[in-house]
Amino acid sequence: MSASKEVVKKMEDRPEKTRQIPTLIPRVDIYENDDEILLFADMPGVSRNDITVHLDNGKLALSGVRRLEQSGVAHLEEFGTVEYRRVFAVPQGIDMDKVNAELKDGVLRLHLPKSEAVRPKQIEIKAA
Amino acid sequence: MLTGWNDIYRMFEAMDVLRNRMNHLLAGLGPDWEEAGSWSGLDGWPRVNIYDTGDAIEILAELPGLSKDDINVRIQGNYLEINGNRKPETPEGYSAHRVERGSASFSRSFTLPVEVDADRAEATLKDGLLTLTLPKSEAAKPKQIAIQ
Repeated sequence: MSASKEVVKKMEDRPEKTRQIPTLIPRVDIYENDDEILLFADMPGVSRNDITVHLDNGKLALSGVRRLEQSGVAHLEEFGTVEYRRVFAVPQGIDMDKVNAELKDGVLRLHLPKSEAVRPKQIEIKAA
Repeated sequence: MLTGWNDIYRMFEAMDVLRNRMNHLLAGLGPDWEEAGSWSGLDGWPRVNIYDTGDAIEILAELPGLSKDDINVRIQGNYLEINGNRKPETPEGYSAHRVERGSASFSRSFTLPVEVDADRAEATLKDGLLTLTLPKSEAAKPKQIAIQ
């Protein structure tokens, strides 16, 4: 029983948590062309101020919190307050300074422009 | 040894902690299909909440990426139908790495718990969330009864 006691003890060490918001993985579409990578993420009900896009060390973390204020008695409840969160590895050669994001109709749209160095180039063949 | 219910509850709480941690670890591995609601099997999409606020029935539906022209709402008595079409958003000249969001037409219908006044119904669409406010018909509204 020593192992279980340890677990119980750990619980006691920890301060009591307030109710956690459940996290959900948003569905995404990812597209690429010669100039940029384009990412769409479904985040219904999340307003602009509740979204954070964090770029750090090759990792792109999206987070959006939707808070639903319930009014009245629920007859049917299929969704609620939730945090949409997903982390992606960003390939090298993305120009971090020019990343931009927009939110429209509950869909986050993220433009990740490629830096000049990795864009494909057409090489002209000179006549010898 | 375990003594009393308190300890047993604690044991279960500890298991919850473990389970939460496991969920956290697994969360990064792939999309949580079940939770996010499936587009391929269109049953149950969009997800909907129905509330009774006393004077009205309030309905919320998750419809990300849809404009108001893509959504139809029909009410007949206490029957409500929401249908529409999510158009593919594939941008021109891009190649796809990952397509999870999909596009399809959908339809969901409900029998509301009470009759509603369809003429005074209001619908708004904000941030991909459709809100319908359906006032109850006079006969269905709650009434205060004075005790003699």
